[in-house]
Amino acid sequence: MDNRELWAALGMDLEKHDDFLAPVPAIFTSLFLDRPNRPKAMGYFDMIVGDVHGIRVHELYAMKEAGAKVFSTFCVYVPEEIVVATGSASIGLCAGAQYTVSSGEKVLPRNLCPLIKSTMGFKLDRICPYFQVSDWVIGETTCDGKKKAWEILNEHIPTYVMDLPQKKDSKDARLWEEEVREFASFIERETQVDLTTENLTSGIQKINNKRQALQRLANLRKHNPAPIHGLDVLLINQLSFFDDPVRFAAQVNALCDELDVRVKEGFGVAPVDAPRILVTGTPQPLPAWKLHALIEQAGAVVVGEETCTGERYYKNVTEPADNVSDMLANIAKRPLKVNCACFTPNQGRMEDISFMAENLKADAVIDFTLQFCQTYGVESYFVGKEMEKKKIPFLRLESDFSEEDQGQLLTRIEALIEMIRA
Amino acid sequence: MRQAGLDLGSVNTKLVVLENGERVFSQVLPSRFDSVQAGITLLKAYVEEHGEKPEKLVVTGYGRVNFPEGRVITEITCQGKGCHAYFPDYAYILDLGGQDAKVIKKSAEGKIIQFIMNDKCAAGTGRFLDVILKGLDLTSEELDLATEAKPMPINSMCTVFAESEVITMLAKGIPKPEVIAGLFKSTAKRLANFVESVGHPECLIFTGGGAHYTLLVRFLERELKGNVVIPSEPELTAALGAALLA
Repeated sequence: MDNRELWAALGMDLEKHDDFLAPVPAIFTSLFLDRPNRPKAMGYFDMIVGDVHGIRVHELYAMKEAGAKVFSTFCVYVPEEIVVATGSASIGLCAGAQYTVSSGEKVLPRNLCPLIKSTMGFKLDRICPYFQVSDWVIGETTCDGKKKAWEILNEHIPTYVMDLPQKKDSKDARLWEEEVREFASFIERETQVDLTTENLTSGIQKINNKRQALQRLANLRKHNPAPIHGLDVLLINQLSFFDDPVRFAAQVNALCDELDVRVKEGFGVAPVDAPRILVTGTPQPLPAWKLHALIEQAGAVVVGEETCTGERYYKNVTEPADNVSDMLANIAKRPLKVNCACFTPNQGRMEDISFMAENLKADAVIDFTLQFCQTYGVESYFVGKEMEKKKIPFLRLESDFSEEDQGQLLTRIEALIEMIRA
Repeated sequence: MRQAGLDLGSVNTKLVVLENGERVFSQVLPSRFDSVQAGITLLKAYVEEHGEKPEKLVVTGYGRVNFPEGRVITEITCQGKGCHAYFPDYAYILDLGGQDAKVIKKSAEGKIIQFIMNDKCAAGTGRFLDVILKGLDLTSEELDLATEAKPMPINSMCTVFAESEVITMLAKGIPKPEVIAGLFKSTAKRLANFVESVGHPECLIFTGGGAHYTLLVRFLERELKGNVVIPSEPELTAALGAALLA
């Protein structure tokens, strides 16, 4: 089956899909492929993007033919190890394209986070093969916009919602553990595969390996000169959500091996005096490359992302255990140390940012908020205060997935760089 | 040595030239949607007057990236530099330009410590005031009367909504001076909040074309409960800063 046959079989709107994908190769070439000094191991990730709606979708389709299920997730808190343990697939589907925002606005208010509108639009327009190949959406309650949008999405695809607590007290931990156990039963029921010590150990191991590979990559960025562009790492972080976890981890480790050599030889993609930027805040889901591209176009280098398309996705690993029940308890424990702005209070996030800024030797922090994101927008106040206390130059940016404000964003970014260099 | 600073703004383009540190030329020309052309015209005017091209040129403002020559520096850095030349003792700058508003905090040495710029819309910018004042078709008497008038509250800060709110008020027979006073007061309030999101200045430097509205300055002082100082030609400080950095 070729791509078009596959897309037709998935009930996609082929004409609209062509229109959506048409500009991507040119953008990808100018932002990524044309840049000098990229590591050779980026070839794998470039290939994935080159056929972003092909290779992996064929795999998922084949998995389904063989009796597995595909679960789409939208948040780093959803425990993918449980899905992977049953031999089914977990793919992250947060969307970052302006193209589908207007379709999303057919059913959602305009004054809503563009990520939610973009996601909804992809389903309504039937132009995302990952959505089309999915059996279930796994939603969660990390913000009010998503929480209510799941009810609408459920009219188009079965949607299961995990109730994430908003505080991190012991009773919240108990609630979350219960949610994880219920989710495990739901996955067992849907996949008709029982969780066993063996398969869950393997699921945990696969996802831990993926997280550790991403952690290794993140840690290599503390070196100066930076061995890799932030934009390339962002792309890898974005792809980490839906590629096959085992193959993906191997490819990230291969890249890290290459970067180890670069570090040893003192070879970098940016000059030693290039300002080093830590990006914090809301995620940049595929294909939202604007912020990183502008920062690096302005002569700085992004050395870390304290975001869901970054640190929050791969922070910590799930501790092993010798029986299913304890493993589920450990799976529930890991994400509660991840600090999303949906929690209150959230001092841990300030500590994360300070630690990252220091460890990565960041010259400045850019706190990015997607328009209408209440939790990160409000919490930006504390990020600013913390940076003032630590005397780290700080810039707050708000944007969406559109291209029109690039000039304004670039002016702010350039001024920040001038400020650091003065 | 001749150092030139060219500020290619959305509404006006400004050129300042210094010779051995002394200002010998400064001129403002409307950008008319082509600030690059306006900049070229200004540089020509300088050469005609002084015979030679400046040796050093820094370009700034939103048209800076399209200008064929000169070193590019953002208007934030230039504004900070220009203001520091006038007021080295004051830390906070409010710049109200045609297309955006910004607040800059500088150190005692003139280094920029922090800055913010407004969102991507006309609300609270010079454009906002221009659009509405133009629509009102004011006489200078009416403007004078506004100084004494009781400000009519204007709640909408979206340019389009505020315009229709103003039209509704006038249709109801509310005197123009009250509406104008209200317009400046509500803008001042918004700008004061903008400043205070960065800090609480005892004395604020106010620049950009917006600083020419004396009524706005008065309301701004009231809102901030502090003094506002304005350079002699507030629309020229970024160009001056650019010249100093050249």
